[in-house]
Amino acid sequence: MPAGTGAPACPNIGSPHAGRLATGPLELPEPPLTHTRFSAPRLALALLGSILILFIVGPLVRLLFMASPAGLGRALADPELQASIVLTVLCASAATAIAALLGVPLAYLLARARFPGRRLLQGIVDLPVVVPHPVAGIALLLFLGRHSLVGGALASAGLEFVSHVPGIVAGMLFVSAPLLVSGAREAFATVDPKLERVARSLGDTAWASFRRVTLPLAGRGILAGSILAWARSVSEFGSIVILTYNPKVASILIFDRFTAYGLSAAVPAAVLLLMVALAVFALVRLVEPKEQR
Amino acid sequence: MILLDGLRVRVGRFDLVDITFEVATGGYALIIGPTGSGKTTLLDAIAGHTSLLAGRVWTHGEDVTGLPPEKRRLGIVYQQYHLFPHLSVGENIAYGLRGQPIAGEAADARVQALAALLGITSLLGRGVHGLSGGEQQRVAIARALAPRPSVLLLDEPFAAVDPATRTALRRELRALHEAEGITTLQVTHDFDDALRLGDMVAVMADGRIVQQGRPEEVFRFPNSAFVARFVGTGNVIAGQVERTGPLEADGRFAARFVSGALELHVIAEREGAAHAVIRPEDLLLSAAPLPASIRNRIEAVVERVEHLGPVVQVQLAAGRDLVAAVTVATATELGLRAGVRVWLGLKATAVHLV
Repeated sequence: MPAGTGAPACPNIGSPHAGRLATGPLELPEPPLTHTRFSAPRLALALLGSILILFIVGPLVRLLFMASPAGLGRALADPELQASIVLTVLCASAATAIAALLGVPLAYLLARARFPGRRLLQGIVDLPVVVPHPVAGIALLLFLGRHSLVGGALASAGLEFVSHVPGIVAGMLFVSAPLLVSGAREAFATVDPKLERVARSLGDTAWASFRRVTLPLAGRGILAGSILAWARSVSEFGSIVILTYNPKVASILIFDRFTAYGLSAAVPAAVLLLMVALAVFALVRLVEPKEQR
Repeated sequence: MILLDGLRVRVGRFDLVDITFEVATGGYALIIGPTGSGKTTLLDAIAGHTSLLAGRVWTHGEDVTGLPPEKRRLGIVYQQYHLFPHLSVGENIAYGLRGQPIAGEAADARVQALAALLGITSLLGRGVHGLSGGEQQRVAIARALAPRPSVLLLDEPFAAVDPATRTALRRELRALHEAEGITTLQVTHDFDDALRLGDMVAVMADGRIVQQGRPEEVFRFPNSAFVARFVGTGNVIAGQVERTGPLEADGRFAARFVSGALELHVIAEREGAAHAVIRPEDLLLSAAPLPASIRNRIEAVVERVEHLGPVVQVQLAAGRDLVAAVTVATATELGLRAGVRVWLGLKATAVHLV
């Protein structure tokens, strides 16, 4: 597909462009090529931008160089830190799996169906993004605590949230689900519904056309959304610290060591968590559709 | 056979109403309407992708109105082709062969045969990105035909290709239609498609079918000024019919058609307001006054001469603006250019009143 030919940056549903494939991943127009000539305004833009870039890269690089190889080795061998990272990864995976199971069908509905209240529903899904995480933690505590209607019922069925592992998953799910749902919704929106119609007319049931056409085309976008949700779960602190302080996920363990023993005790764990986060970030970049990079 | 029986389809804020149309088994029919008249929605409704407000769809004697799209055995080709971008050309064509009683080698043979028929064998292993409009079109048609549907539905198949490709595709589609013998229904805004491909045509206006019949018939005898203009019959002039002769046994009579300064001898069926439809090639051009055997002899001035390949289109002022079509040889012989005075001859029977 020709890139950078001034194609509009909208999902090309029912695209009027003659002769083009009517579907495909979201196309962002390449910025027009301009000569990199010296000019004062552009220099000012570059200067402002580099301050921000340094502000992001600087602390992370500083942190990575803080930990000595010996310190990292000790951190890796630390059973409490090991257990904490395993717990974090497992809980984040569980939260992502639940978000995918419940969120992908919702994302498909939001992308395809036109029904009253669709925008409201979309707003609700995005709501956790604007709720401060400790506030989310308190809300979840009130909702899932033993003395609440829902929490009480679940507790009597053997599912306890507060100060238990499910509380960690609940906090992670609350803050990460919007990322997965919007990623999947955008991915579905780029699949032209007419492709599904063609598949149906070629003998596919609704489910078969979803499985053979829609899912393969939206798959990368959904996967990218899932990885972002997973990464968001791994880094969650604010709501978990209120719901389930113990057992400690990695972010809480780092906070705990920092407050109890000071900076030098927190650094190796922090570096390890940062490395996990960077690995995930690299994975997202690999999975993401090229056009969205 | 496909029979549309009183279909009513919602298109945005308006409805297509009372769409009744029959395509004979093995026939090629077209529904023609202006852009934005809901033709794609009509095809979607026939294919079962959009619900009908009223009416029934029959294919080969079976009422398919209540069936889901996958049970209707209707192949559909959309204007933008909608090839599956994650599959190769070959996989696109073979898509509908999965789950069919034929499989494996037989399916492969079917793909090969269709690709050969459409001249896309060399593309089979390729992805669909970077195919030209004409190539995408051929793949989409092959994909629709592969599972041997009972009816082929085509949505503006030539709208997105250049004129040269359009001519080639029309010819191929006609040949393919003859080879496969599949009942075909095409929607288009281009009456040329109907003249070149169809054996039945229905013209839509304001959500209804306003005329249907054989394409030459509709072209020659449009039943309204709208159809005449839309199918491009030529001159459409509003005026009045005044009776001048006795009523004949066939219900017709000799009459005068008056439109401003233009007066024509015509054969009419009723008096009063009417439109005269005159085909450009029925206007005879001459440098000298014409013999009296030609009923209508009109003096005119050439306003513009346009060369359209083998035909020369001449715009004339003769009380009303008229368009005539002559051969290049005639145009040269008469020395046609703007400002030249000519005589127009027109048989009374060549004026079609609607």
